[in-house]
Parts: sequence; C-alpha cells; structure tokens
Amino acid sequence: MRRFLPILLLALAVVIYSLIFQSVWTTREQVRSNTPAGYIIPSRFSRILALGNQGLLSDFQFLKIATFIGGRSGEGEILNEEDWRFVIRSLDVVTDLDPYFVDPYMLAEGLLAWDAGKPEEANRLLSKGMEYRTGDWRLPFFVGFNNFYFLKDYEAASGFIMTAAKLPGSPAYLKTLGARLAYYGGKSKTALLFLKEMLSDTDNLLLRDRLEMRLLALERAVAIEEALDKFITQEGRSPEKLVELVTAGYLRELSVDPYGGDWVVLKSGRVFSTSKFANTLPKKPSDEPSTSN
Amino acid sequence: MRCILSLAMITFKEGIRNRSLFGIALLALLLFGLNITVAGFFMRDIGKVTVDMNLSALSFAGLLLVFFVGVNLMAKDIDRKTIHLVLSKPISRAQYIWGKYLGIQFFVSASLLLLFVCSCLTVWFLLYLYPNYFIGFSWPIFFVACFFVLVKFSVLTAIVVFFSAITSSSLITLIFSLSAYVAGVSIEEVVFYMKSEFAAQEKIISESLTTFIDIVSYLLPNFAVFDFTLEAAHGLAITSQRLFLSFGYGAIYIFILLLLASFIFSRREFN
Repeated sequence: MRRFLPILLLALAVVIYSLIFQSVWTTREQVRSNTPAGYIIPSRFSRILALGNQGLLSDFQFLKIATFIGGRSGEGEILNEEDWRFVIRSLDVVTDLDPYFVDPYMLAEGLLAWDAGKPEEANRLLSKGMEYRTGDWRLPFFVGFNNFYFLKDYEAASGFIMTAAKLPGSPAYLKTLGARLAYYGGKSKTALLFLKEMLSDTDNLLLRDRLEMRLLALERAVAIEEALDKFITQEGRSPEKLVELVTAGYLRELSVDPYGGDWVVLKSGRVFSTSKFANTLPKKPSDEPSTSN
Repeated sequence: MRCILSLAMITFKEGIRNRSLFGIALLALLLFGLNITVAGFFMRDIGKVTVDMNLSALSFAGLLLVFFVGVNLMAKDIDRKTIHLVLSKPISRAQYIWGKYLGIQFFVSASLLLLFVCSCLTVWFLLYLYPNYFIGFSWPIFFVACFFVLVKFSVLTAIVVFFSAITSSSLITLIFSLSAYVAGVSIEEVVFYMKSEFAAQEKIISESLTTFIDIVSYLLPNFAVFDFTLEAAHGLAITSQRLFLSFGYGAIYIFILLLLASFIFSRREFN
C-alpha cells in the first residue's frame, strides 16, 4: 500500500490540476474581456526597459494590439472610446520603437480611419511613417485617401496621391487618379477605385473581411448613384425618394445596405447610408442628407 | 604567446565539454522554430519580424553562454582554488588573464557561429516561404548585424574576466557583470532621455544626477553601439565609418579592460 501511495497522490494531484487549469483559463478569459484596454508604458521608458530588444518589443506590442482588437471583434463587442485611445497610444509606442515597421501603419489605416472614425489620428501616424519610409508609396496614398474619403479635403488628397504616384512601385493609375480627384470630388465611384486598391494590398483576414463588406456596400451605393445621375439627366429633377429609381426603371431593385442602414442622398450627390458603413459610430458626414428613401 | 594560446585551448575545450551548452543550443533552436511559427501572424513586415527574432535569439543565447559557461570557466579556478596549480606553471598572471579571455572568446565565437548557421537557415526558410514580404531584406547587412552580436559578447566576456580578476566569488562576478550588461544596454537611452525635452520638464532630475550619468556613460560600454537590428530588419544602409567606429570602440574597450584586469590580477593575493 505504501508503495502505491505516492502514485495515488500524484494521480489525485494531476486530476485536481486539470480541473483548476480549466477554471483558471476560463477566469482569465473573463478577466481579459472585462478589463478596460489598460495602460501602455510610454515609449521613452519602454525603449530603456527593452534592454536592446526594441525591435522585438515592437513586434510583441503589435501582436498585442492585433490580439486585443481581434478578441473584441471576435466576441462581437464594439470598441469604446477608451479602447481606441489604448490602440492609438499602443500604435504610437510601436512606431516609436521601430518607426520603419510597416504593419502598424497598415493597421492604423484599416482601423483608426475606418472603424474608429478617427482619420486625423490615422493621418498623424501615417505622416510619422512617411518621415522614415520615404520610398513607400502606400503611406502618402493612405493619407490621400483619408483626406479624400473621410475629411473631404480633395485638394490635400490630390497632393498626397500625386506624391504617392511619384514613388517607385506605385500603380500607374495613381497619376490620373490624383489629377481627377480635385474635379470629381465626392463621388462614391472614386472611393470604389481606392477601396479596390486597398483590398488588393491586404492579406490580414480581419481587415479583408471588413474591406470586402465595405466594398460591397460601396458597389451598391455606386449602382444607386449611377442610376440617380441618369434619372437627373433624363428627368431634369431629383427623385423624391430613392424607390422612384426602381419604379421609373432606372434600377432593377434597391439593394440592401450590408451594414443594415437606409440609403440617403447627400447634398453633394453622393449616395450614403444611415449606417454610415460602420459598426461603430464614426464622425458624422460633413453634409446633411437632402433626400431619403 | 604559446602559453596564452595553450591556456586558451584548454579553456575552450573545457567550455565545449560543459553540459549547459546543449541546453542553450536547444533553447536557441526552439526560438528559431518559434520564429517560423510566429512570422505568419504578421501582415506584411515578416522580414523585419524574422530578423528581430533571430538577432534577439542570438543575443539571448550569447548572454546565457557568457553568463553560465563563461563566468564558470573564469571564476571556477579561483573558486575551487585550482588557480594555485595553474600559476605554479611557468605562466605569468597577465598571461593567465589573456589566455582565459581568448579561450572564452573562442568558445563563445564557436557556439555563436553554430547558432548563426541555424539562424541563417531559419531566415532562408522564411525567405523561401514568404518571398514577397522580405522587400528591404539584405543578407550582407544581416551578416554585419550578426557579427556585431559577437562583438557585443566579446566586450561582455572582457567584463566577466575583469570582474573575475578583482572578486573572489563567481556569484559576485555574475551579479556585477549582469548589472554592467543591463546598465550598458540601456545607458544610451538614459543619456539621450536626460538630454531630451521631456527630461527638461521634470524637476526631479538634478545637476548632480546628470553628472553622475555622464560619468557612468564613460565607464560602462554602450552596448547600443553594436546594435544593428534596425538596419538589418529594414535593409537600411550602414556607413563604413559607423562600422569602423563601432568595431574600434569595442576593441579598445576590451583592450583597456584586459590591461586593467591583468594589472590588478598580478597584484592580487590568494588565500
């Protein structure tokens, strides 16, 4: 009996351990999802604490942001203001630790501009990247896109797109896009061109899904916009409601906004949605709706 | 000279026989393996992440080699009093210091060379897996960064030899060398922080603290000088002037430390 006692004790301990193990991880999961984003050590201190591994620390910190956002969106939670502040501060730290690291800039564009409705913050980070990655056309391209799409500053957008077009490796159509931007301004079709380019350049699955959904929404908006343009040219007036486009035969059907909103026509002639194409509530579009369906 | 070389060879062989070498090599291989797994988590700068992880793994392995094996090789003689046996041979104390240093240096270089080959294989494999995500990567700059990891540990070995020469216990040597390493790695950041505008706003930083940090920055080696990770990660050009300056800084620092160590060691009494 005495010989088996240690084995019995070990078996018992292993059983208890496996029971505790499960609950420890479950508790941790709850704790992590309940805790606010948390504090991030400013880069001027983390540079010292990294003990010469600043590059590695920036990789780790970047993964942490990606996990944080992935975890929140995996649970279908919407990031609040505090969470976004954490993401911005973290991205700042990552780019301070390694200003040449391209991933945080891509994430800033994909998340801050699109989901958080903070295109100014995205532009600030991207401009920081432009100081270091001087030969990378994507950064001025994104700043240009944000100026065009979110901030509605077409002149600035055109300038940045021109800058991007001059850099090596930039797609040929950027030159014409930059020139056309100032003229065509706020039409959804221009946004569609931008979005297709962004999508072809994105491998991150999370971001891809979001961009694809956005692309679908925009494609539908563009279809309505084109029908609307045709209506105005031929009828000489704006439709009272968007449904009129379908009844008058300009549009086969009024497709649904994948974000679940209702289509509205802005004063600029751009078709937009009450969902604002986002799961969160970004900044209000600068011009008020004039017609709705 | 022959005495120094034969002592170096003995030290080298003793180091190679050390069992912890296997543990360190295994750990480094694990880190390289981890690199292959983790690289896929990133969106596009996989080349940068690979280089960061490889150089950090090399650095970490080198650190363990110097602290676990190097300290032992140097301080064991004094700890176990076998030093009397060695010094009874026709060999001067200064020769003993230089011989030991060269021996540990051979050992660290040989081990790092082996890990360097593994590291190159990892990078090559990832380059093969994700050829489009290694845009800025350049092998020569990566080699330079790896070489300077070795230079960094040559300096650290000199520090270990220096502290072994003035202390009587391997534990004290370990603690002193570790502290010197931690301080040396971060001293540059601290010095530049003190000069920055952030520090100007802090009222607690006194004049005497600034002077103290200034003095410490002269005494300790600035290990950031040997860090070319950023350049290797993004394929940024390094000027030859910077390379020579970094190498010269390391070489002269080692030389001064070893001279001081042999000077102190020659006048030291053993009980």
